Amino acid sequence: MLQLKMKKQEESVKSSIYDLVIIGGGPAGLTAGIYAGRARLKTLIIEEKIAGGQSATTEHLENYPGFKDGVGGIELAMMMEEQSKRFSAEFAYEKAISVKLKGDTKEIILSSREVKAKSIIIASGASPKKLKADGADKFHGKGISYCATCDGALFRDKKIVIVGAGNSAIEEGIFMQRFTKDITFVQDLPYLTAEKILQERIQNYSDTKFYLNTLVKSVNGNDRVESVTVTDRKANKEYQIPADGVFVYIGYNPITDFLDKQVKLSEQGYIITDENMKTNIDGVFAAGDVRVKDFRQVITAASDGATAAHSAEKYLENK
Amino acid sequence: MAVVKVYSTPTCPWCVKAKQYFASKNIPYTDINVAVDRNAAMEMVQKSGQQGVPVIEIDGNIIVGFDQARIDSLLGLS
Repeated sequence: MLQLKMKKQEESVKSSIYDLVIIGGGPAGLTAGIYAGRARLKTLIIEEKIAGGQSATTEHLENYPGFKDGVGGIELAMMMEEQSKRFSAEFAYEKAISVKLKGDTKEIILSSREVKAKSIIIASGASPKKLKADGADKFHGKGISYCATCDGALFRDKKIVIVGAGNSAIEEGIFMQRFTKDITFVQDLPYLTAEKILQERIQNYSDTKFYLNTLVKSVNGNDRVESVTVTDRKANKEYQIPADGVFVYIGYNPITDFLDKQVKLSEQGYIITDENMKTNIDGVFAAGDVRVKDFRQVITAASDGATAAHSAEKYLENK
Repeated sequence: MAVVKVYSTPTCPWCVKAKQYFASKNIPYTDINVAVDRNAAMEMVQKSGQQGVPVIEIDGNIIVGFDQARIDSLLGLS
C-alpha cells in the first residue's frame, strides 16, 4: 500500500515536469507550441508581454504567405496563440527571470513560481534598440515612440521624424502617411536598407524627406518635442529638423540576459545554433530573432519554431 | 464600482491586452479611441503628460501603459 502511494506520488511529481518549456510567445515560440502540442508533448509557453512579440506591434504584414491581402500583426499573433492552445499548449504570462540548463531536468524561475522541463526552446526574441541622443530619455513616451502602430494616431497633421530606414522604419512610415504628410527619415547609412517594394512605395510620396549618412545628435524642446538636431557625417554639417514626434527603428538587441551566459552566444549576443536549432547544451534549442541568422522575419521565426520543436521531440525520444 | 477609462488606438496591441484584461475580470470600462477623438487625445496628453497609448484612468488615477500590478492594486484585485 505504501509502495503504491509512493509510486503515485512519484508519478505526480514526474507529471509536473514539462516535456518542453518554450520561453517567448512570438511567432517562433507559438509555432513551436503548435508542433510540440501535435507531437503530444506536455508544453508550456512563457510570455512576458504579449503574444506575437514584435510582430504584434506591426500594423499590417504583407509578406506572410496565405494572406493575399495581408494580415494585421496582432490578428496573426492571436490566431497563432489560439492555434497552439488548440493543441493543448499551456501559457504562463510572466517573466522568465533565470534558468538552469545543465542536466536532464532544466529549471526555469518565473516571477511567481519555478517550473521544470526535460527540454527548452529559447524564443525570447529581441527588443528595439533605444535612441542614443541628448533628450532621448527626457522625451521617451512624450514625443519619442518605438511603436508608430500604437501611437501614430496621436500625431495627426504633425511633423514627424523616423530614425532608421530598414523594413520596420519604412513600413511604419507608410503607416504614418495616413495621419501626416510631413515625414522625414534620418538614416545613419548612405542608403535605405528596406525591401525594394517598400522603398518604391515610400519614395512615391514626394513629400517624404530623407537625410542619409546622418546621425541624430539631440531631440530638443521644453515640455514637448520641438525639433531634432542631426549631423550629416559626410558633409560634417548640422541640421535642425522641426518635429513634434520621433519614431525610432534602429535595430534590435537580443533578449538573453536571463540566460546568464549558460548558452553560447555570438559576439553580438545572439544564440549560436546548428541548422536543427540545437545550442551547445543538450536539450536546449533556440528559435527566431534571438538566434544568429541573416534574415529576421515572421516567416523565418515560424520556420525556426517548427524545426526546434521537431528537434526537441527527437531529443526526448532518444533519451 | 471604480470608474475605468482606457484611452486607446485600435491598432495598439497593449490597448487590446488591457481591454481584454478588464473584460476577463468583469470590470466595466469606457474605451476612448484617441485616433478619432482629438479632444480626448488632448485630454489624455494633458492628464498623463504622455503621447503614447494606452493610458488608463481608474477613479482619477492615471496609469501609463498596461501596468497590471498598478491596475490590480487600484482595483483591489489579487
